[in-house]
Amino acid sequence: MKMLNATRPKNKTLFLYLMIPVAMFVFTVFVPLITALVYSFFEWKGGPVKTFNGLTNYIQLFHDGTFWEAFGHNIYLVIACIIGQVGIAFVLVLMVNSKLVKCKTIHRTFGFFPSTIAAVCIGLIWNMIYHNKYGILNWFLESIGRKDLCQVWLNNSDLVMLLVTIPLIWQYIGYYMVIILSAISGISTDIFESSEIDGANGFQKAIYITLPLIKNTMLVCVTLCIAGNMKAFDNIYVMTKGGPGTASMVMAMYGYQISFSQSNMGYGSCISVGIFVLSLLVIGGSQALINFLTREKEA
Amino acid sequence: MKKRQVISTVLATAMVASLGMTASAATEVAANELAYKGELEIMHYSTSEESEGNGGSDGFRTVLAAWDEAHPDITLTQNVLANAEYKTQIATLAAAGDLPDVFLLQGMNTIAWADQGLIMDLTDTIAASPYAADYNEAYFTPFKTADGKIYGYPALTGGTCTVVIYDKAMWAEAGYDAFPTTWADVEAASEKFNEQGITTVAFGNGGKWQANSDFLSTLGNRYTGPEWFQSLINKGGAAFTDEAFVKALTEMQRLFTETSIFNEDFNAVTNEDAREYYISGDAAAFIGGNWDWSYIYATLKDSDEEKFANMGIAVLPQPADATEAPTSQNIGLGYAIAINPNLAEDPDKLAAAIDLAQEITGPAFASYVAENYALGGLTKVADVDLSAFDQQTQDFYNWSYVDTETCEIYDSCINSAVWDILNTDMQTMMNGEMDPATVAQNAQDAYVANY
Repeated sequence: MKMLNATRPKNKTLFLYLMIPVAMFVFTVFVPLITALVYSFFEWKGGPVKTFNGLTNYIQLFHDGTFWEAFGHNIYLVIACIIGQVGIAFVLVLMVNSKLVKCKTIHRTFGFFPSTIAAVCIGLIWNMIYHNKYGILNWFLESIGRKDLCQVWLNNSDLVMLLVTIPLIWQYIGYYMVIILSAISGISTDIFESSEIDGANGFQKAIYITLPLIKNTMLVCVTLCIAGNMKAFDNIYVMTKGGPGTASMVMAMYGYQISFSQSNMGYGSCISVGIFVLSLLVIGGSQALINFLTREKEA
Repeated sequence: MKKRQVISTVLATAMVASLGMTASAATEVAANELAYKGELEIMHYSTSEESEGNGGSDGFRTVLAAWDEAHPDITLTQNVLANAEYKTQIATLAAAGDLPDVFLLQGMNTIAWADQGLIMDLTDTIAASPYAADYNEAYFTPFKTADGKIYGYPALTGGTCTVVIYDKAMWAEAGYDAFPTTWADVEAASEKFNEQGITTVAFGNGGKWQANSDFLSTLGNRYTGPEWFQSLINKGGAAFTDEAFVKALTEMQRLFTETSIFNEDFNAVTNEDAREYYISGDAAAFIGGNWDWSYIYATLKDSDEEKFANMGIAVLPQPADATEAPTSQNIGLGYAIAINPNLAEDPDKLAAAIDLAQEITGPAFASYVAENYALGGLTKVADVDLSAFDQQTQDFYNWSYVDTETCEIYDSCINSAVWDILNTDMQTMMNGEMDPATVAQNAQDAYVANY
């Protein structure tokens, strides 16, 4: 919608207003990215001495088993969260939107609420849930008579990745709910009414009407989900610090460990560049995949 | 009305008087004339929470306050963080080349930071210190580089990193007057404890460093003897892949995977959580460091007199196939006062910083912690009168400084990169998912690459 020329501010005013936020954005996003890229070509073991060593860090990254293990964990997070966060959000929105549900605003608010809490708090709360002696999960299993299933949840290398994903999914369902809800409210109700006359049930309406019409929004949600989960850190740091050993290590946690616990900042910068490049590849790949799967069939 | 007024006045006076009665040291902080007038910044981790029950921290804060008072022209700015946050923050500042004037240097960072020019060479300054004759030379080891230069005044109190704290009453019931001296006996006892639903020994490795500092560092010494680690520090040919060390790792794995001695969640909880298991009676013993002993001592003294009276201490039990030093425990000072080399530009400020470093590690500090807590620091104090202390403190003093053999603390030396890799692998190993030979090899590779 073009601004009315009469009320549009002068270009200079626009520029001045935008200058500060753009400067902040450039300073907090682009400058660290560029400096990380520059530092990744140096050997920098903490302190002011940096020696240029070309592609050595990248070659080391290529052969670093722990990094690729962490990448695998990130992909696991991404897939689990697309199904969990976006999928469950979609289902919840359909439920909230249906005629049967009262107090829609309350559902929306409470659904969105967890995503406003700091991930650190959520991690600590779930730590308490998973606690071996005093946690709710083990207490619940004992009280239903399945004491044999009680275990030290966060020390189980096979399950720990799943256990750490659950709080992450729980936290951001509401975030995607709000996005999808606004997209669905843009669909005119005529389409749904005419489909009901044709005898479509809820499931068919969702798959064949709603989903194609909000395809672009879903694409945005999937992109946000991937981008957010490729750099997941807070939950992992608070709950397991990547442990036990490297069973729940993710790329950002690995970069942190290398940079601060091992004082190897040059290699840490290389890891963060690696995260950036891999995230772009995964996002680009997933967009291409979705576009391919939902392409308009040539008439 | 008048009677009430009198009583309340008396009580108020008593309260104010008691506030004024703080513990004091036999030796006062030397109020040397300093030419410097201005700001001096020190960064450390002796928070007020840490100082409750921790004699070294309390002494540190007290002497700092006394020094500040003795030099009214100098504004002493203290930047205090809890230990875990302190380590991250100081590493960040080091990376930015923006370290404070005076700060606590961890032993394992000495060589790397000295190479980077982040810390000042204090060899000559220390030799010229007025208290040099009373310094305990052994404590300087983690803060020396290969060419013998010293980069810090070892600070706080010399404490053990591996002590077994056990409940005498619970073990007497299981048939032991004193804590077992071998792991085989501990395993036998664990059967009895497990029947009662009590954990035999509580241990927390959630932060990954505890298995190294509070366990392996002493267990390793029982297999290798002290020369092995000294050779590792001096690059004299010792390697992590040496048979004796791999045996120590194997025994460690066996203890945590094949016996039911420890709490199941040892990898998921920290030492702070595990010591609470002991305090609440869920565990019959606990393995930790002197900071844990201080905490348990202070907590039980206030809350549970009977359990406090039953608090016993012992060295790590000896494994069946270990041959060395059965009564050894690793002791030392993990941190030293280091000075930012930028201070060389301002000789007066440097003199002030050196005076500060000397006083907070000198006789004022040492006599304070000796008289109030029966602990030792860098400077030796003659004739510590132990009779003023309760039995627990006397026992701990004798155990720490007199009756046991000592060995070095692994992660006070070498390099943080090596320990981080070893600690991460050990967590996996203690779950039974990595074999000790691989752990040793990874550690050796990191040692060769980084040291």
